Amino acid sequence: MKQSPSLKVILNGLWKDQPIFSMVLGICSSLAVSNKVENAIAMGAGVTFALIGTAVLIAALRKLIPGRVRMIAYMIIIATFVIVVDRVLKAMFPDISRAIGPYVGLIITNCILMGRAEAFYVSNGVGLSLLDAIFNGLGYTYTLVLVSVIRELLGFGTILGLQVMPLSFNKWVIMAMAPGAFFVVALFIWVTRTLAKMDPDKQGGGM
Amino acid sequence: MKRLRSLFEALAKARLLRPLKPVIHTIAGILLGNRETTTEAPHIRDHIEIKRYMSMVILAMAPAAVAAVVFYGWRAVAMIAVSYVVGGIVEVAFALIRKKEIEEGFLVTGLIFPLILPPTAPLWMVAVGIAFGVFFGKEVFGGTGRNIFNPALVGRIFITIAFPELMSARWQKPFTDAVTAATPLGLFKSGRELTPLVDLLLGQVTGSMGELFRLGVIAGGLFLILTRVANWRVPLTYLGSVALLSWIGNLAMPDLIAPPQFQLLAGGLLFGAMFMATDPVSSPSTKAGKWIFGVGCGIVTLLIRHFSGFGEGVMFSILFMNAFAPLIDTLVLNVKYRTAKV
Repeated sequence: MKQSPSLKVILNGLWKDQPIFSMVLGICSSLAVSNKVENAIAMGAGVTFALIGTAVLIAALRKLIPGRVRMIAYMIIIATFVIVVDRVLKAMFPDISRAIGPYVGLIITNCILMGRAEAFYVSNGVGLSLLDAIFNGLGYTYTLVLVSVIRELLGFGTILGLQVMPLSFNKWVIMAMAPGAFFVVALFIWVTRTLAKMDPDKQGGGM
Repeated sequence: MKRLRSLFEALAKARLLRPLKPVIHTIAGILLGNRETTTEAPHIRDHIEIKRYMSMVILAMAPAAVAAVVFYGWRAVAMIAVSYVVGGIVEVAFALIRKKEIEEGFLVTGLIFPLILPPTAPLWMVAVGIAFGVFFGKEVFGGTGRNIFNPALVGRIFITIAFPELMSARWQKPFTDAVTAATPLGLFKSGRELTPLVDLLLGQVTGSMGELFRLGVIAGGLFLILTRVANWRVPLTYLGSVALLSWIGNLAMPDLIAPPQFQLLAGGLLFGAMFMATDPVSSPSTKAGKWIFGVGCGIVTLLIRHFSGFGEGVMFSILFMNAFAPLIDTLVLNVKYRTAKV
């Protein structure tokens, strides 16, 4: 089946080159902020926004950025959008900002942004880059939300702050802590890679 | 006997039952033993194999397990049953998916696990713990013989961290219904109170189910060492280092560190040293490595018992040293190899 370039970009972002289980990028933040669904959504939205901004700007400027200093240029562009996300969260959602505070700043060093910039935006046009950014962001977000649903359900007995489990439910304290994320993310990667029939030896990895 | 064997062979060949082949093989193996012999040298004359090895370990744990049933009645039986059934399901599921034999190592894990739980642990928690232990402690590494950590301890540490209130504050003395938050080690920590040694030996104190009847644990451990199923080096160095270090520590800081005779008998030290630190898979296989492993376990146990928020350190120390076992073995072999060459 022949795929148009844009359809291919969409499918890559959501499944084949999905940032977390396929490229194993952005693992630090997905371990850290996936303890509650609201944090996961906020983080996913923040990363998606920063990704979109970065993609458009880098793709538009790709012929102007000298090859030797491109990393620094990416850094500045990414940092600009991350600061926007951080400020907006602080002003509009102070609770969430307190919960995921340091990790928002760390989006600057999130490998998804740097990785996509170097791999895709610097060599593709604005339209395709925008599409790629949206669907990579969505790929990242749905992973975080799935992981956080499991963790919040077991660790707090709630989903989005609503009590789901009976009050007598014994909370799995470990799921609210970072070690719980390791198990859930590992299971997620295992299941999805089995579904996608990926050979782990042929895939790269990063943090 | 012959007829039974051919029946099982016919069953194993039947096309319909092919997915269940590992199950059939295992049942045949347990009932009839293994008939396969090697055709090339070297031949080993003894019949020892993993199944018999594991039955020796279960035999050695029998006194502790029977004592747990006597102390806590049907509750203990139920916990052991849940552990075997749930862990067995995980084990069989993996054997079927991987189309491999079912490993007998699980028979030991499934018995150790309920014995290192507090007697008040709810049954669903037993199920969660054993499933997690078998899955993340063993199967993800590739099954019996490939695991880095002791699977029973992996399950125990997971539910200890996941359910701290249920796992460390609800202890029940044998033959009573009273539930307290205090174990002998906890009593020493909070009030410098030393539980009488006879009570510890006979198990009339609070603690995990299987560690209580310490006479039985000691007898089982000696049985394992005398039949050479377990190597004497790890228990000896583990218990020896705890005794020596706590003797020195008790002389230097009597308020902080309990005397050695109490240290040796309290908590899960004996059970851990006899049945879990000796696990042939997750402990070092070189002789010098076993010495280092035992001493390391002893040091970490005492550090956690007296310098941390946790009451007991046996579980953590064995898992901690498990992580270093391959490294210890490599170092020992390197040193040995180099000196041999020079």
